[in-house]
Amino acid sequence: MNINNSIDLSQMLSIVLPLIIIQLILMVIALVLCAKAEQTRGPKWMWILIILFGNMFGSIAFFIFGRRNEG
Amino acid sequence: MSVSAAHNGNVEKRSFNRTSEIGRFAAMVEKELLELLRSFKLLWVPLVFILLGIMQPVSSYFMPIILEQAGNLPEGVIANMPKPQGAEVLAQTLQQFGTLGVLVLALVCMGVVSGERNSGAASLILVKPISLYSYIGSKWTAMLVLTWGSLAAGYLAAWYYTGLLIGSVPFKDIVSSLLIYGLWLTLLVTLTVFFSTMLKSPAGAAFSSIGCIAVFSLLAGIFPKQLGWSPGALSGFAYQAVSASIMKGDYFGWAIVSALAIIAGALAAAVWLLRRSSSVE
Repeated sequence: MNINNSIDLSQMLSIVLPLIIIQLILMVIALVLCAKAEQTRGPKWMWILIILFGNMFGSIAFFIFGRRNEG
Repeated sequence: MSVSAAHNGNVEKRSFNRTSEIGRFAAMVEKELLELLRSFKLLWVPLVFILLGIMQPVSSYFMPIILEQAGNLPEGVIANMPKPQGAEVLAQTLQQFGTLGVLVLALVCMGVVSGERNSGAASLILVKPISLYSYIGSKWTAMLVLTWGSLAAGYLAAWYYTGLLIGSVPFKDIVSSLLIYGLWLTLLVTLTVFFSTMLKSPAGAAFSSIGCIAVFSLLAGIFPKQLGWSPGALSGFAYQAVSASIMKGDYFGWAIVSALAIIAGALAAAVWLLRRSSSVE
C-alpha cells in the first residue's frame, strides 16, 4: 500500500526533469521568435503572457497563430 | 547505324532531362526543408511530439499517487488498481498523437500551398521551368520528413520511458506500429496539402483534412466488418500491432492499399487543381 509513497523526491525529479527541460526549450524558442517578430497577430505583450503561462500550449499557439508573415 | 546513333542521342537527351528534373526536384525539397528550419518548425514540432510521447508513460506511472493525493477514493481502490502494461501505455501514446499530434500537424501544414499562392510567391516560383509535380511533390516530401521525424522521435521517446517506468515492449512491435501509424499520418498530411491547394483559406484546409481523417476513423470504428479495408482502420491496426495480440485479419493489406491509393489520388488531384487554376489566372 505504501510502496507508492516511498518514491522519493529526487527520483521523481529525475523522471519529470526532461519534461520540464523540453517545455523550457519550447518556451525560450517561442519567446525569442516573439521578441524578434516584426509583427504579431495581436499585441506582443499578450503573446508573451500566453507563452509564459500557457505551458506547452501557449508556445504551440504562438508558433501556429502568432506570426503574421508566416504561411 | 545513323538511325541508332540518332536514337542513342535521343535517349541520352531524355535521360539528361530526367536527371535535371530530379536535380530541380531535389533543389526544391532542399528549399522547403530550409524554410521549415528557418521557421523553427523542424525544431518545435518534434519537441512537441517528444513531450506528448513522454507525458503518457510518466502520467500513467504517477497515476496511483495522483489519485491518492486527490483523496476522494475509498480505501483499497488504489491498491487494487491494475498496473498498466507497457503495450497499453504505448497504444495510449499513439492515441495522443492521433488527437493533439494530428491537430498540430494539420495546422503546421495548412498554409503550405495556399500561403504561397496568397502572398504571390507561388507565381514567382512557377514562372521558372518547374513542373507542377515537383512543386507539389517537394512540399509534400518536406512535410513527410517533418511528420515521420516527429512521429519517430516522439514514439521512441515514449518507448524508452515506458521501458524505464512501466515495462519493456519488444522493439519489433514498435517498428511495425510506427510504420502503420506513419502511413496514417502521411494520409493526413497529404489531404492537408490537397485541401491547401483547393481552398484559399489555410484554416479551411486544416479543418477539412482533420474532418476527413475523423470521418475515416469514425466510419471504420462504427462498421469494422464492412469498412475494415478502409484507411480509417489503420490507426486501429497500429494499436493492435503494439499490443502483442496481433490480429491483423484479412483486411490489413487492403487498408494499406486503399490508404496508398487515396494518397496518390490526392496528390494527382492537387496537381490538377493547381494546373487548372494557374491557367485560369
